[in-house]
Amino acid sequence: MRTFVAVSAAIAFVFLVAMLYLAETTTVATRGYEAQRLAQQRDELRRQNALLEVESARLDSPARIDAEAKKIGLVRVATIPVVQLEPITAKR
Amino acid sequence: MTETVSPRRLRAIFALFACATLLLSLRVGYWHTLGRGELLESATDQVRNDLVLAAQRGVIRDRNGALLATTVPLRSLYAIPKRIGDHDARVAAAAALAPLLGTTSDAVLGALESGAEWLFLRRRLPEDASRAIESLGIPGLGFETEPKRLYPNDAIGAHVLGFVNDDGAGQYGVEGKYDALLRGVPGRLVVERDPKDRDLAVGLRTARAPIDGAAVDLTIDLVIQTSAERWLRDAMVKEKATGGSVIVLDPRDGAVLALASYPTYDPSAVAKADPQALMDRAVSWTYEPGSTMKAITIAAALDQHVVTPNTTYEDKGYAIIGGRRLNNALGKSYGVSTMTQILEHSANAGAVFVGSKLGAEQLRSYLLAFGFGAPTGIDVSGEAVGEVRPLAEWYPVDLGTISFGQGIAVTPLQLAAAYSAIANGGTLYRPYVVAARRDADGEHRTAPVAVRRPIGADTAATMRAMLTSTVDNGIAKDASLQRFSVAGKTGTAQIPSDDGRYLDDAYVSSFAGFVPANDPRFVVVIVLERPQSRLLGTLTAMSAFRGIALDALRSARVQPDRP
Repeated sequence: MRTFVAVSAAIAFVFLVAMLYLAETTTVATRGYEAQRLAQQRDELRRQNALLEVESARLDSPARIDAEAKKIGLVRVATIPVVQLEPITAKR
Repeated sequence: MTETVSPRRLRAIFALFACATLLLSLRVGYWHTLGRGELLESATDQVRNDLVLAAQRGVIRDRNGALLATTVPLRSLYAIPKRIGDHDARVAAAAALAPLLGTTSDAVLGALESGAEWLFLRRRLPEDASRAIESLGIPGLGFETEPKRLYPNDAIGAHVLGFVNDDGAGQYGVEGKYDALLRGVPGRLVVERDPKDRDLAVGLRTARAPIDGAAVDLTIDLVIQTSAERWLRDAMVKEKATGGSVIVLDPRDGAVLALASYPTYDPSAVAKADPQALMDRAVSWTYEPGSTMKAITIAAALDQHVVTPNTTYEDKGYAIIGGRRLNNALGKSYGVSTMTQILEHSANAGAVFVGSKLGAEQLRSYLLAFGFGAPTGIDVSGEAVGEVRPLAEWYPVDLGTISFGQGIAVTPLQLAAAYSAIANGGTLYRPYVVAARRDADGEHRTAPVAVRRPIGADTAATMRAMLTSTVDNGIAKDASLQRFSVAGKTGTAQIPSDDGRYLDDAYVSSFAGFVPANDPRFVVVIVLERPQSRLLGTLTAMSAFRGIALDALRSARVQPDRP
């Protein structure tokens, strides 16, 4: 009887160890897939960010702004008056 | 009656099985010992992926951080025709795809029914098109990302930037010159994959991360660059000129603020560009500069103290040198004239007078000191050298013609660098376009390089005053600006023909100048090749100079130096 119990316990122990190992391996694999999914998401977000930066640069382009300004009838100013700082300071 | 098997037959069968078992055991033993590695490798090969991890090509920005060039993975559309379905399904798919791909449904259908098992339908699609195609949900279609170099300002700065070819290699401009720096080092990933082609977290995995290319900040100012290209384009259109270029330098350190060449191209669509448009006419093209060179001749003579600004000569409208008669433009004579008036009138005879005072050896020595006849060392690809012939090849008349800029070949960039030396007090700087590069080790800024001092500070100051007078009182009046002092000189040069003579009716018109003349911040050189108004092409060049200079002064918020 004692032998039977010992053998059963040993089998159960080995089974548990095997299950633990399998659970660990499965968890690692699952996390791996999750990490891969997140990496893909990160890469896509980076890509979208880069595309947005390009779009922003296109919109900020002086050539585009110049063309758009002309379309709505704006013209370049002939002169820009510059206020000298010294006289204003002197009046204070 | 039972049939018995003879013991001999039994022994034979046993021996056969024993031999087979032995052979099988030996084979199994081999695969577990000596052949284990080979077996493992062939098994692993079926699930292993050996990938090259592309390095991200470095970003290029202007001096204020504006994006000039970047690499973005764009989606390429591929198809597996068999998975799309039968002929009717392919026809329907082609009809749906055609408008999004900007082509005909027949063209798409032709591709789908070409017999290929897998094919790209369109590479590097615009993002909105790829999203629209994705939303169609057509089976058998898929996307792969491929890197694409994008230039958000289209053709602006094309010649200073260069482009990246289909193999990912930089060509021309900064992309070509700094290709090794920008492209980075690719990495490698070896990983096992599951039947769904996903990376496995367990098992074999070796990786070497890619090293991204360095980011590069240019000295270029996008606002000034855009202005230069706009004014150059307008001048080219007005004059129906065959080519043109603009250089804007910061004379204080040689930084290139703008570099424009026309005709130009879109670096994102180089395949459609005219091959002639690829040439950077500011750096890679040489011409005989004409009268802009008179400033260099007079600077040399002043520096050698063979003349002063008030030295006079009798201008008869021509000069005789080496037995040849060299005339002023339109044969005009100016009587008794000072050195300043030589510049104000752009008198060829006066330049010959100064050249004769200086002598061929000294003139050539100063030309070389100002950087002509040698590359400036600018950090873009394809710089031309120009030509200052050895003294042994000079005919006596060459002293006269070279004094007013004929018989010598220069690049617009060399001329801008030489005028910068006059503007900054006498120091010739090496022009440069890369202000800094940033990589994993941090930021590395480019130190300006002072090459030499061709003239002294006093000479430079005198020349600034003389060139200012040329704009205020002389031939370059059209280059003047309200409330800013301007110094500069026009140039109209004949074009040599293949037979060594000059073309009768074709000129190169140019203007070289700097603002504000009292404390120069910008040196601008504009060159127009074969303007239709011929001798009057300098008027258009001066108009473009004025526009570019004003935009640059406004952009840099430079205070006016005149009431």
